[in-house]
Amino acid sequence: MTAFGRGGAAGLLQRLRPTRIDVADLLDVAQVVLPLLAGRQLRVELLRRTAAGSVLVVEEEERTLRVALADLADDMTRAGVAPTPEAMTAALRSWVAHRPVTDASAAADGIAVLDWADAARSAVGWRVVVRRGDATQPWAPLPGTAAGQVDHTRSAATARAGEVELTLRVEGPVALWSYPAMPVLATTALAAPGRMLDRVAGAGLPVEDVHVVVTPHRPVACAGRSVAARLAGETPEASVTLPWDELSALPWL
Amino acid sequence: MSVLPTGGTGSEVLVPHWLASPERLQLATAVRAALGDPAVHPVAVIHLQDVLTELHVAAARDAVWPASAARVRLATGWDADVLPVRLSAAELTAVLALCPLPDGLRGRLHGDGA
Repeated sequence: MTAFGRGGAAGLLQRLRPTRIDVADLLDVAQVVLPLLAGRQLRVELLRRTAAGSVLVVEEEERTLRVALADLADDMTRAGVAPTPEAMTAALRSWVAHRPVTDASAAADGIAVLDWADAARSAVGWRVVVRRGDATQPWAPLPGTAAGQVDHTRSAATARAGEVELTLRVEGPVALWSYPAMPVLATTALAAPGRMLDRVAGAGLPVEDVHVVVTPHRPVACAGRSVAARLAGETPEASVTLPWDELSALPWL
Repeated sequence: MSVLPTGGTGSEVLVPHWLASPERLQLATAVRAALGDPAVHPVAVIHLQDVLTELHVAAARDAVWPASAARVRLATGWDADVLPVRLSAAELTAVLALCPLPDGLRGRLHGDGA
């Protein structure tokens, strides 16, 4: 999955032997599509510059994204986007949907989830994300943002996470939390650890020494220490196992 | 890869036995029958209880990370309800020695093909 989404790709052959996206073709598509994507606060437009080539500008409140259309065409080629108007349209829509999240949007709609803290997937931390269509986008405060404002956004996102209605499945000594429509939200179960423990107890499971097994974007498992270790220790998939009372001390990303 | 809490279990080698849903039910029934026998040694009781735990954990593992088992099922042509049930040598020995298993399941646990 790239910023261009899945809809624009034309399958394995296209990815292995990509056909070049011509910047002139992309320009034709962009001129039709971009006006449809602009919103009240969202400015999406092309700056036509004959010598240096066109530049695509996405501007929303304090966030600005500029990319040369030629570079975007190259990126689409590398991502295996098919050189058809339909695929380029889908890729452009997806690219705009992946634009940075504004401070106002994060403050109003942010939700706290756990995400990988490092490329090696050895640790997790909290992140504020915002729903956009059928996916979420992460929010990152700009350097120099007032600490109080960042804290307020994170606190509100944590409270909002506690309100997400998750599916609880009990499999013997294991409680599994999931959000099938948007798997990234499964870890919202852990934003309010006390509420999570209450529901675990309500399901008839012991609450002594509860550990959580976290793989971001996957269902979250809660179980006693030894069961959690057995669960996570026998899979090649990356995960982090930790006691429930360490959840609130995890860093913000 | 997994990051385990310090001192956690997991050092023991657990071997996967790929069992379909009816076989897992048969195994659970047989283990419960053995656990109902007061003559079973307390250490064996612990191993058998761990087998019951593993039957649940196997399902939970597949719910959290379905891709691993799905790849094996795709390669082997096994049905969608076939899951790896991972048992230690001691757990397997307790099952084979103490549980009233159907012949097919006993053969499967002995490793006579899947």
